[in-house]
Amino acid sequence: MKSRKMLAFWCIVLGIIVFSTVFSGNLAPYEPNDMNLDEVYLSPGDGHLLGTDHLGRDVFSRLLGGGKVTLTVATVSVLLSLVLGVLYGGFSGYVGGIVDTALMRLLEVFITIPSLIIILSFQAFMQGGMWSMALIIGVTGWLSTARIVRSEFIRLKEAEFVQMAKMFGTPIWKIIISHLLKNSVPAIFVVTLFNFANAIFIEVSLSFLGIGVPPAIPSWGNMLYYAQNDILIGAWWIGLYPGILIFITILAINFIGEALKDPERRRFSA
Amino acid sequence: MTVKWIGKRMMMGVVVLLVVSFLSFFIMHAAPGDPATAFYGGNAQTLNAAEKERISRVFSLDRPITAQYGSWLVETLKGNLGISYKEGRPVITILRERLPNTLLLFGVTMFFIIVGSVWLGTIAGMKAGSILDKGLSILSIATSSIPAFWLGILFISFFAVKLGVLPSSGTGEIGGEGGFWDKLRYLILPATVIIFTHVGIFARFLQENIKDESRKYYVTVARANGVTEREIRKGILHNASFPYLNYIGMTIPSFFGGSIIVESLFSWNGLGQLTIKSVVTKDFPLLMGSILLIGMLVVISLFIIDFLMYSLNPKLRKGGVQ
Repeated sequence: MKSRKMLAFWCIVLGIIVFSTVFSGNLAPYEPNDMNLDEVYLSPGDGHLLGTDHLGRDVFSRLLGGGKVTLTVATVSVLLSLVLGVLYGGFSGYVGGIVDTALMRLLEVFITIPSLIIILSFQAFMQGGMWSMALIIGVTGWLSTARIVRSEFIRLKEAEFVQMAKMFGTPIWKIIISHLLKNSVPAIFVVTLFNFANAIFIEVSLSFLGIGVPPAIPSWGNMLYYAQNDILIGAWWIGLYPGILIFITILAINFIGEALKDPERRRFSA
Repeated sequence: MTVKWIGKRMMMGVVVLLVVSFLSFFIMHAAPGDPATAFYGGNAQTLNAAEKERISRVFSLDRPITAQYGSWLVETLKGNLGISYKEGRPVITILRERLPNTLLLFGVTMFFIIVGSVWLGTIAGMKAGSILDKGLSILSIATSSIPAFWLGILFISFFAVKLGVLPSSGTGEIGGEGGFWDKLRYLILPATVIIFTHVGIFARFLQENIKDESRKYYVTVARANGVTEREIRKGILHNASFPYLNYIGMTIPSFFGGSIIVESLFSWNGLGQLTIKSVVTKDFPLLMGSILLIGMLVVISLFIIDFLMYSLNPKLRKGGVQ
């Protein structure tokens, strides 16, 4: 009971963050890129809820607008890696045999390479907009999904209802979609949730290093990138709030994932 | 048996490195823009077509990709990683300067993470249901959700700007003799950030394993037969250590990835910072070199962990004996 309350609480937290960033255009008091050089480095207070940055831009509005960018990049990349992972893992698990062994060996090789390294080398020449960013994160993030889908497929393939369906001559695509895939949805959902947190982490980290989303677009990572200098002169609010928001978002996702993972595990091990 | 096993693992490592080299080479090759222009730098507009062609020929850029990859690989195996575009020095020299710093940071953080997580995880795991047990579960999720670099920013603003007790960035005093204690002072902040964001999740993994292990049948039987609590604990710990070691192995790639960001935040003179710098300045030979070296470090650390597991776990050592 207690864990269900926790789950509901974190879902609401995440919901509020997503809602306010999606409708940032209506909720934010200023345009995220509105500069006002008369009001630089204002501390949090009236007029500007969370203060202003080195160009007099409202930190609160930038937080909402930046969240939209960060969460969009994360969502798109996670959807992409979901599709790739389901295709690769599903194929490997369903076909089995030598193909499965070979594909899994290849996957092991990919897992060994730090994904940040691959992303960095792509970024070296693809420093485009936020879409290329989403593309790169998605292309490098499907490995864990593929693993989960494969093991689910292998487990389900031997299940009685699948064997039965095969015996009745159900078309293969129907078995794959409505039996195998449908029954692996809970596991896929959990791994996708963790991928989502990871995607946010990567976007934020890269933008923070100045090699992610272009500086003109506000994102949580970009805000922290500029905050590095502002903190040295004592403008702590510019760096504090984006970080807290990132922290809470990832925390919410992780807690939701944990809460959903636990009953799963109990069911499978029983 | 052992020789065969080591050979197999080595093969796997070689394949990984080949894929890494493939990736780094072809990604660099696919980069838009003319390498000749990049080489020439700021005044590239003044180049005419013939000069561009001459530069291309000098650097063998007009040969087919596979031939380029082949000769690049041969040179790399000989230890020649080319010359950095920006610094004009051999890449291998630059890498050699940076490697000790990265190894120092990696070694120190890994040591404290393992010691800390084994200590916390064991205490929490052995007392299932206690406050520590529940506390660690929540705390580990919380600490692992903090972006490491943001924590770093907070640390800098507190310890370096406000209190002024620790240096905010760098690897040693400029102009100082660079003694051990000097370096240690610079190591504290980056290492603390990495340890703090990792130790919880490692401890939690061990804790869950110990809890799973304690519920198993053999523990009940041992207890019923009057085996001392100490012996039982030893057995549980021994059995729980394999998945833990495996977990460390699995997280090592992302661990290296994470330290890249922390390194560049604190301007720690290591490989990670070098990688970021070479991405920003589009210094491709340097980038390829550092990617290869990081790949090698990952492969070596995985090999060490595999070897540890192999020597500790008789099940693995005896192979497929059922």
